[in-house]
Amino acid sequence: MLIESMTSLGVPELVAQLIYAGLVAFMCINFVAVYAGLISVVERRVAAKMQSRVGPNRVGPNGWLQWLADGVKLILKEDLIPAGADRLLFKAAPMIMAVGVAASFAVLPWGPAHAIAADLNVGILYLISISALVVIGILMAGWASNNKWSLLGGMRAAAQIVTYEVPVAMGLLPAIMIAGSLAVSDLVNAQGWAPWDWVAFDNPFAMLGFLLFLTGSVAESNRTPFDLTEAESELVAGYSTEYSGFRFAMFTLGEFANTWVVGAISAAIFLGGGLVPPILANVPGAAVGVFILKTLFMVFVLMWFRWTLPRFRIDQMMDFSWKYMLPLALLAFFGQSIYFLATWDSLVAQSVVSHLMVLIFLGVFFVFINRVLINYRHQATVVNSYKTETDYLVKTGKIVLAAPKEAAADSSEQEEG
Amino acid sequence: MNMTPKGSPVKVYFNNVLNGISSMFEGMSITLASMFTRAQTVQYPEVDPRSVASQRQNYKGNFRGMPENYRGLLDVEMDICTACLICMRACPIDCIVITNVKCDKRVFNGRSGKKAVQTRAATRFDIDLGKCMFCGLCTLPCPTGAIFHTNEFAWNKEDLDSLVKRFVDPETGAAAQKRAEEIAQEEIAAKAAKAAAKEAEPSSGDSSSEES
Amino acid sequence: MGKSLKTEIMTINMGPQHPSTHGVIRFIIKTDGEIIHECIPDVGYLHRSIEKIAEAVSWQGFVPYTDRVDYLAAMNANWAYCTAVEKMIGAEVPRRAEFIRVIVGELNRISSHLIAIGATAMDLGAFTPFIQLLREREYINDLLEMACGARLTYNYISIGGVNWDVPPNWTEKIGEFLDHFELAMEQMNRLISYNRIFINRMANLATVSAETAIDYCFVGPNLRASGVKYDLRKDIPYSVYPELDFEIPVGEGREGAVGDCYDRYYVRAMEIRESIKILRQALKMMPEGEFQGKVKNNIKPEAGVAYVRHETPRGDTGYLIQADQKTSPYRLKIRTGSFTAMAAIPELAQGVFIADLVAIIGSLDVVAPELDR
Repeated sequence: MLIESMTSLGVPELVAQLIYAGLVAFMCINFVAVYAGLISVVERRVAAKMQSRVGPNRVGPNGWLQWLADGVKLILKEDLIPAGADRLLFKAAPMIMAVGVAASFAVLPWGPAHAIAADLNVGILYLISISALVVIGILMAGWASNNKWSLLGGMRAAAQIVTYEVPVAMGLLPAIMIAGSLAVSDLVNAQGWAPWDWVAFDNPFAMLGFLLFLTGSVAESNRTPFDLTEAESELVAGYSTEYSGFRFAMFTLGEFANTWVVGAISAAIFLGGGLVPPILANVPGAAVGVFILKTLFMVFVLMWFRWTLPRFRIDQMMDFSWKYMLPLALLAFFGQSIYFLATWDSLVAQSVVSHLMVLIFLGVFFVFINRVLINYRHQATVVNSYKTETDYLVKTGKIVLAAPKEAAADSSEQEEG
Repeated sequence: MNMTPKGSPVKVYFNNVLNGISSMFEGMSITLASMFTRAQTVQYPEVDPRSVASQRQNYKGNFRGMPENYRGLLDVEMDICTACLICMRACPIDCIVITNVKCDKRVFNGRSGKKAVQTRAATRFDIDLGKCMFCGLCTLPCPTGAIFHTNEFAWNKEDLDSLVKRFVDPETGAAAQKRAEEIAQEEIAAKAAKAAAKEAEPSSGDSSSEES
Repeated sequence: MGKSLKTEIMTINMGPQHPSTHGVIRFIIKTDGEIIHECIPDVGYLHRSIEKIAEAVSWQGFVPYTDRVDYLAAMNANWAYCTAVEKMIGAEVPRRAEFIRVIVGELNRISSHLIAIGATAMDLGAFTPFIQLLREREYINDLLEMACGARLTYNYISIGGVNWDVPPNWTEKIGEFLDHFELAMEQMNRLISYNRIFINRMANLATVSAETAIDYCFVGPNLRASGVKYDLRKDIPYSVYPELDFEIPVGEGREGAVGDCYDRYYVRAMEIRESIKILRQALKMMPEGEFQGKVKNNIKPEAGVAYVRHETPRGDTGYLIQADQKTSPYRLKIRTGSFTAMAAIPELAQGVFIADLVAIIGSLDVVAPELDR
């Protein structure tokens, strides 16, 4: 649209396209920076809530400007390049990683299915390929740091990311088969607004594909349980040990921004991202809101994984991918094909299966909520109750409890004195 | 109850997958449950651990405040100190320095009501709180309870010398020193008088009243 | 492709400053990238000459120093030293003091094991269990603060008894805490101990057979995990332990071989349960009475030697005291379990991944202050 308006003003087509691309890139980079900052605060607060503590709450209102403080601090730090390091590669590595992540923003939808910056007809393929640039960045960082620990981290990361490309791509296959196209907008439009019209609940093999895609993406973005490349306990910070200041910030920004990419693609392709029920069809911003909610929920699930599970060892991680995820991915692919053959003509069968999937999911969800309630009751048993503080004072006659409400206040005053 | 699956490889494979998913499920339910429990962090300085009132206002966790017998910074009540040097000898790191001189005898009740007799006064009572390890070994043998732990825990100074608490200021010290010299003179005079009285008359009734 | 790839063995320093070694310990690791070929521990970075300092302070004055020999199990270290001195001078400890000692010793055992379990989990990447176990440990710190006024370096157990009496509502508070803690500990087990990823990391790793364990003089949970049922509280009982009823958990190869890392970890988790049992009994049986026996202020024992062994959370801690009719010991030697556990690491770390080395150190529960004294 923008390009047509520019060409109609007489700007040559190539230049108009370049200007458009530049604008998109500018907005993507800004979004990456701001989002990564905000999500770092959210992650720390979510982690703190899961650990019975508070997290950053001093900078800004309730801690929400902590990312600005961190960013300013990192920018003001000394730019150290270790002696003996390969200067060109050392400087280029964080940029390549950030580019690999930011370039995948070009094919993400932003709400409605057509709101994509570059709606390539091979959108998904482009996404998987461009996010492999990250490997090159990590390898460069590990090698150029002239540090044995970084080298170990870089090599581990390269092995891990290359290995997990396979389940990620194959997990997307059921969705691609259902939509019949590689373009992201087609993949979104092949679904409906209701959960039983989403790809994830279409049939068990699509659900399997979704889970494989999710697990593979967690491994691709180097998050626990797959964060052995930057395992603090073992390698200090893995491939980014020698980085300080803004270069380090680029690595971290790239990682956090990757969570949005994972969330957005999961929401768009598997969870019917952006499609709203007809009631809300004319409400402005409903599609964007729904999409953002689904994406942020998936980002929360990623954080939830990180703070619950211990990390894999390098050989166990490789085993997991080749021996467990690859057979399951093949099963999902073949299963989806057979399912198509079986139910291609009968829409009733398809709809029955998808409604059944939603019911099964709800059942699992209720069982889960039950466990959550039981565990909550275990954690919330009383400790250090006021009763143990006041009982013996009453027994020894030091205080007299007037009425239950004032009793605690009385005893506290008496205890003070 | 062993949970590592055993049996034929296919069975092991599937049991591994199921076991992995179920243990992950349980773990995630526990962390989700923790999200709804209260944070236990005591946000000092908005919440003061020493005051129950400030805790009731701003704090919703399970911490019930510092107990009364918290071993904080040391303090000495010089009125009931008998300068017996027991705390100085008990300290394993020698951070208490006391010098004492003779003084007038005084009988009083210590902190716990026990009777105490003071025959010496301190001219210098310094505690180097920079060295102190707050072990309480000085408070245990004190006969009157003069040296005790407060519940103060924050005490920042700008140089090491200010970390020394001096409980006897120079004037009091000088006065005690003077009084001690006077007492010494009186004793010498009393001894001389007694010796003279012994020489003059070998009677025993003339005991000097100043001799204590 | 006839030529084989030339590889080198690189020497890496898992240096004194490292996020995962428990304290300042240095390892010189010769590795080819992932597998360790040789691992040489280098200890002594936290040596503070505590045994030499003992020759300059008085007998009671040394008790705070024993706190700092192993600050995670300070009460037990206090207790071992005081028992040694009492044995030398023949002091009697009142019954109430004995029970108080057992209660604080077992509380400290629980809190020390919580750190051991939590630190192992954190080294393996699970951050939440560590923080939640620290939360439980804070309640124990509160209880011990009520008894003696300090949260880590207690200086509570002294020659002849304990220094201060416990507050009157202490037993109810401990009972309430134990009711909460049993459920919370079971929940922590479900979060981390039974987690498939955790089990896969720790099972069948660094298996120590019973003979090897005895050869290396392993003590405490490390020894019991290898299948040797030996606990000083049952075999050479001291204090009032003969009157208390508890089991000794022994490693049974729960998820792998007998004596692997998971067994060492799990034995500690089981010991926490046994400590809870002991605490409940001791709380019921604690009598009223004196809390400190009659001991002179300046002790000058006869010339002689006393050696006392206590079951601290890290194993068999022994205090050898040689007296010479002075107010300070002539020689004091502390034998700790971490030191001998450390000696086994070169053999255990052969052929494992670097990530596994972290798990091995965590499962052996090596703490640097006890290692170097």
